[in-house]
Amino acid sequence: MIDELDLRAGERLAVLGYNGAGKTTLLRLLAGLDAPTSGRVAIDGEPIAGADLKLRRSVAYATQRPALLATSVMRNVELPLRWRGIDGRARRSAALEALERLNVGSLAERNALSLSGGEAQRVSLARALAIQPRLLLLDEPAAGLDADARRAFFDDLEHALRDRATTTVHVSHRAEEALRLADSIAALTDGAIRQLSDPASIVRQPADATVARLVGYENVLPVEIDAGGRVLIGGAPSGVITTTAPGSAVLAAWAAAIHLVAPGSAPLRATVERVSQGPGRWEIALAGNEKLRAHLPFERPPPRTGDHVAVRVDPPRAVVIPIPHRQEPRP
Amino acid sequence: MDTVPEVLGRSAFVSLTATVIALAFGVPVGTWLALRRRKGRGALATVVNTGMAIPTVVVGLVVASLLWRSGPLGDLGLIYTLRGMIIAQVLIAAPLIAGITMAGLQALPPELPDQLRALGANRSQLVWRLWIEGRVPLLAAAMAGFGHAISEVGSATIVGGNIHGQTQVMTTSIVEQVGKGDFDEALVYAAILLALAFTINAVLTSVQQRAAAWAQS
Repeated sequence: MIDELDLRAGERLAVLGYNGAGKTTLLRLLAGLDAPTSGRVAIDGEPIAGADLKLRRSVAYATQRPALLATSVMRNVELPLRWRGIDGRARRSAALEALERLNVGSLAERNALSLSGGEAQRVSLARALAIQPRLLLLDEPAAGLDADARRAFFDDLEHALRDRATTTVHVSHRAEEALRLADSIAALTDGAIRQLSDPASIVRQPADATVARLVGYENVLPVEIDAGGRVLIGGAPSGVITTTAPGSAVLAAWAAAIHLVAPGSAPLRATVERVSQGPGRWEIALAGNEKLRAHLPFERPPPRTGDHVAVRVDPPRAVVIPIPHRQEPRP
Repeated sequence: MDTVPEVLGRSAFVSLTATVIALAFGVPVGTWLALRRRKGRGALATVVNTGMAIPTVVVGLVVASLLWRSGPLGDLGLIYTLRGMIIAQVLIAAPLIAGITMAGLQALPPELPDQLRALGANRSQLVWRLWIEGRVPLLAAAMAGFGHAISEVGSATIVGGNIHGQTQVMTTSIVEQVGKGDFDEALVYAAILLALAFTINAVLTSVQQRAAAWAQS
């Protein structure tokens, strides 16, 4: 476990975790809304809990649900600027600029409560950005949006954060969102950070099975490593060779790494449990020594439910995760 | 002998004054209860809710026992005065206003207070903004408080004494006329009282509905 988190100015951290992991609690601590029961949360060395208004106002936190006010969009975005004593013309200009960065400038005079989910999320974000915070906290900013709206939202968020030196902490349970915007990723479970790395490292070498599932590996299963370094699934060779010491380990493999071959072509056997259509691919559920999930490109004919197949794991798209007391490689 | 306008004016003065004072106490208490997250909030909310259910004649009896010349506050000379009646009506209206304020602000999105704090609102800015967002239920609290005050007769009789030319109000006058068998006059007074209540509430309702309609537009 990692018990210290240190962000550089301008760094973008994504916190990845399932529901109930403590992501919102972390943001509330960073915003000074809650005080820690132990330890310390500080900005530039100054504790944020109970801090004076000037320090608290250098932080902007956009909650998961937009919490807009029953007034115009423009007034919603201007309000935190008014609290900071910004005069009318400068306030309006800053508010409009923030709205336009997120492509919602045309909604300025609309009643904020009449906006769609995506529009409300953008306005909430514009309200946080308009004050030019030193620390920006985003709680699942695209929650409740459909897939297209999420993509568009993150395009606009990326554009809005470009050229800004704002330190950003963004929490999500979706790996693709966390990986997209971040300089570093913290994997959070049960209130503890299990891994803190750059996006490439956390994907290529997740610290444990939980982190592997968080970053999106469809297959995370217990395996044995024999004396020859072969990775065995239910006692059968998977096709993966490793330098990790013999014994128990975890194998994380993408669904695209699970290849179906003719029966007898590989020692690992399975039965097709279910075939369904995914975006541009077949999604296949396999039952055998372990449950596996495979993806097949659309142009290949899929197997049928009940077919017996052999399975081989494609090594470049799988990773062996040592169990902590067995991390040393083979001599 | 009082004229109808004198009695009507006295009723309006006592109840409107009491409502304004009750708002000054009840809205902040209701707001504090709505925002309080610590233990004990439930018990305090129960006290407020219980206050709404206390019979007005009981309130009048308690106030009168304090204000009687032989009572602990007898030297203030408030028994059988309009000021004494206002005190009683404040105690009747304030719990109702506090309870409706608390419920109304709790009905706002639960993340709103934290979102406003997290955007840099200090305490007074937070409260003011929540009152603006909760203006529809707060207006309902004002209407309910006024309605409760102007319609009650128990405390007005006990604390005010129904003294002609001094403390007689519309409700005590109606009771007196029914007691004498003057049902026709009582009905006229009742209609006038109803018209007063209707007029004041029509103004507040208009403001409230315009606020609600804009929020939904």
